[in-house]
Amino acid sequence: MLARIQLSSPVQRGQPMEVRLLVQHPMETGFRFDVLGTAIPKNVVHSLHATYGGRTVFRVRLGTGVAANPYFQFWVMPEQSGDLLLQWQDDQGQKGEVSARVDVIQA
Amino acid sequence: MTMSTNTRLSRRAFVLSSAAAGTGLALGFHFPAAAQSASGDTPEANAWVVVQTDETCIVRVARAEMGQGTHTGLAQLVAEELDCDWSRVKVQMVSPGQNLARKRVWRDMSTGGSRGIRSSQDYMRQGGAAARTVLLQAAANQWGVAVSEVTVSKGVITHTGSGRKLSYGKVASAAAKLTPPDPKTLVLRDPRQWKIAGKPLKRVDTALKVMGKQNYAIDTRLPGMVYAAIQASPVFGGKLVSFDAAKLRGRKGIQGIYKVDDNAVAVVADNWWRAKMALLDLPIVWNEGANGQESSATIDARLKEGLTSTSNVFADTDIGNAPQAIDGAAKRVEAVYSTPFVSHACMEPMNCTALVTDYRAEVWVASQNAEASMAALSTASGLSLDKCEVYNHTLGGGFGRRGGTQDFVRQATLLAKQMKGVPVKMVWSREEDMAQDYFRPIGLCKLEAGLDEKGNLLGLQLRVSGQSINAYQSPQNIKDGKDVRQLQGYAAEPGDAQIGYTVPHLRTEYAMRNTHVPVGAWRGVNTNQNGLYLECFMEEVAAAAGRDPLEFRRALMQKHPKHLAVLNAAADKAGWGKPLPAGVHRGIAQFMGYGSYTAAVAEVSVKGDEVKVHRLVLSTNCGHAVNPDQIAAQVEGSVAYAFDTLQSQSTVANGRMVNTNFDSYPIARLRQLPRIETVIAPTFDFWGGVGEPTICVVAPAILNAIFAATGKPMRNLPLKNHGLRIV
Amino acid sequence: MSEGARLWSRRQGLGGLLVCALGAAGRVQAQAPAITLDWSALYRPFTGAVKPTAARVSLITPRLADNGFSVAMSVRIDSPMTAADHVQRVVLLSNRNPRPVIADFDLGPWSGKAEIATRVRLNGSQEVMALAQTSDGRWWQGTAEVEVTESACMDAS
Repeated sequence: MLARIQLSSPVQRGQPMEVRLLVQHPMETGFRFDVLGTAIPKNVVHSLHATYGGRTVFRVRLGTGVAANPYFQFWVMPEQSGDLLLQWQDDQGQKGEVSARVDVIQA
Repeated sequence: MTMSTNTRLSRRAFVLSSAAAGTGLALGFHFPAAAQSASGDTPEANAWVVVQTDETCIVRVARAEMGQGTHTGLAQLVAEELDCDWSRVKVQMVSPGQNLARKRVWRDMSTGGSRGIRSSQDYMRQGGAAARTVLLQAAANQWGVAVSEVTVSKGVITHTGSGRKLSYGKVASAAAKLTPPDPKTLVLRDPRQWKIAGKPLKRVDTALKVMGKQNYAIDTRLPGMVYAAIQASPVFGGKLVSFDAAKLRGRKGIQGIYKVDDNAVAVVADNWWRAKMALLDLPIVWNEGANGQESSATIDARLKEGLTSTSNVFADTDIGNAPQAIDGAAKRVEAVYSTPFVSHACMEPMNCTALVTDYRAEVWVASQNAEASMAALSTASGLSLDKCEVYNHTLGGGFGRRGGTQDFVRQATLLAKQMKGVPVKMVWSREEDMAQDYFRPIGLCKLEAGLDEKGNLLGLQLRVSGQSINAYQSPQNIKDGKDVRQLQGYAAEPGDAQIGYTVPHLRTEYAMRNTHVPVGAWRGVNTNQNGLYLECFMEEVAAAAGRDPLEFRRALMQKHPKHLAVLNAAADKAGWGKPLPAGVHRGIAQFMGYGSYTAAVAEVSVKGDEVKVHRLVLSTNCGHAVNPDQIAAQVEGSVAYAFDTLQSQSTVANGRMVNTNFDSYPIARLRQLPRIETVIAPTFDFWGGVGEPTICVVAPAILNAIFAATGKPMRNLPLKNHGLRIV
Repeated sequence: MSEGARLWSRRQGLGGLLVCALGAAGRVQAQAPAITLDWSALYRPFTGAVKPTAARVSLITPRLADNGFSVAMSVRIDSPMTAADHVQRVVLLSNRNPRPVIADFDLGPWSGKAEIATRVRLNGSQEVMALAQTSDGRWWQGTAEVEVTESACMDAS
């Protein structure tokens, strides 16, 4: 599963940085039907979290109400330079992860 | 049809006058519905009413006008409460930008589901009553008298004591400053006392249309405008791979070739014909995907399987034990009916003129929901709603094609974004319009009936196997896998579309079988095919019982008085039972939809392969009749629309639609239409729709008359499948 | 708030990752009406017997959305986001979707700002609510109305 992380730049210690995530996933609702009238099984990314500096800095429990290719924008107070690691899992047990380097300018 | 004298404009004169009508009107067409009126001389009495100093009464409407007369009807309702002079009334359509800026003071702008009048009538009538209240108060204030001493008629206010008079225009400015009355204090006129509403008044737009002065979106002319012809992937769901622009190099007037979205290509030129001809010559490579293998044959096979399958099927109504009752009946009748995809075939093909810059996005369009157009414009342009505006127009046909879907707005906007600052007029060719429709869903229906020895109906069972509109558009609205929408008109309980019969054992089923073809609301939606399945089958059952079709139905409708009343009204007017000329036969049908009860009787003769419909009598109870002439006009229009379905179908080959112009998709011709008589029988205890209900009884009444004439049931529309044609 | 108003457009920043998830995406039309649920029934599983206070929470979304398959939504909560006083939870609720809980977020003082944006699916015109819980345990809410125009019933069936 592909995903991207984008961080606002530059990242300065003490100033919140904006993080944007996009995960490629159809977020199949379970409400759709195929040509024979059979319901297509539900499969959504049900949980997603980002860790940075040894702690979870963002966590979301998702449902079918989140649009396909889940997109999130949130803020994190940067401390030390390091990796921001994004991990997620869907109903079928598929897992994914991607990380981005956070370079913090010590103001 | 009345024969009219054939006055013909010379072609040259017609072209010149329509060109003149088009130029300049696009720019001056839309009055700003701000607090000032168009001439800026008086502020509004409220959002719905502006009275000008010259006594013009502007009534503002939010719904669209697509020939169904909603603008006139709504204006009549407001004018009734306002008690103004109808001859001074002008209708002004508000824009979605204005609606949004004023926190949706004009509320919902969507026009469909035969709801234009019945969903607006309460608040619009209140708007008229509130305006009258402040105008009267202003006059009373001016005279220094109590408002109870003041009356009004046709826009002239009188002080009963002294006989002093003031016209609305004289107090309009003062009225605008007064506090609006509490809506709870407003008393609306009793419809039985209506003087303006309820009357067959001339429509506000008839003269314009007859004189060729009506401006449509397709007539838009803007300075510096360019023209675009477009083609989307003929196979639904396919993608654009490439096109060879080099082949158009040096062609006169061609300004550019653009990819639009991921599935369409547009040629832009200095006139539309050049753009279209160039597009025809442009080599295009499409990725058809798996859908390229679909055809009418693969679809039919899938639908047929659904008729007997035990999977993905559910029963909605299940009274008694229909299978058992039918099995044990003295006489059994069984039939399978089929109805194809049909196209909207709006006379004005899909079109949209768009102008996009970095700061503003505007479209000139024909839309059943200008807010939907604006939302699509915002998404496609990337600009926020406050930077967008939609100039809606009278539609050259809507029928459900121009409502929820705003694909033409999206396309024109994505194209205009690629040439910012230049207005682009994108017009679909007829072929593109018929190939890229949202079709009425295809279906089969298996019906079984059981009769006792006396010919009474004991049990009725039907199963529809066909495509689901909800599954295509909004699957999340299908609860527990049961798409009851596809059984529209068969509901046992009272509601918008209740079945008109009491049958001891009744079972209705739906098997969802989908296709790759986009489907949507086609005027009347599922009442069309469902009305046909049931009413044509009932005629077969009546014949098997050896009973008169009218009498057979009546016996089952004693507990459905409103359904029965319209059936009797049509039968009475048609003179059911009276002798007919030799060779002429009658057919009858009744069905409910959109809150209204309808019935039809057709008189038809069949000679060889030629079917002639001589007369159609239709009856409807729509609750309240706002403009009886307009209702009759809507009924006549629905007849014309239903005639398309008697002779046309949209078939699929290699994943794409085959019938893309009027040569292969014939529509009703004037000479085919019969004498149409409408009986309107409102009971004033509900508000039902008018735009859609009667269409579903037209085809079954005609098919039933053909059955009476030939002894053969017409089970597979269009009629050419039975070797017949309408003349 | 529109995509175009953002600092980076989605297309520029995140390339062509978007899958065409649903065959009908971008061609959505009319829907049948859904039932509107009562807010107290929807927030109760989160707030218990307490009614959330209508303050501090701004839920920003376009007033009109052309289709319900992807509607931009952002939540902004007025909070210093310190260890002593911060937003710890945000829940997005719909009063007409088949599953009312859209998303459930955990935040903390490490967040710096109590602001989240996402894209949601809406089953027709409705009201959406953002519930927020601050570190003192109190609940707050903000709502927004969205008209999903392509869901306006084109027929009453």
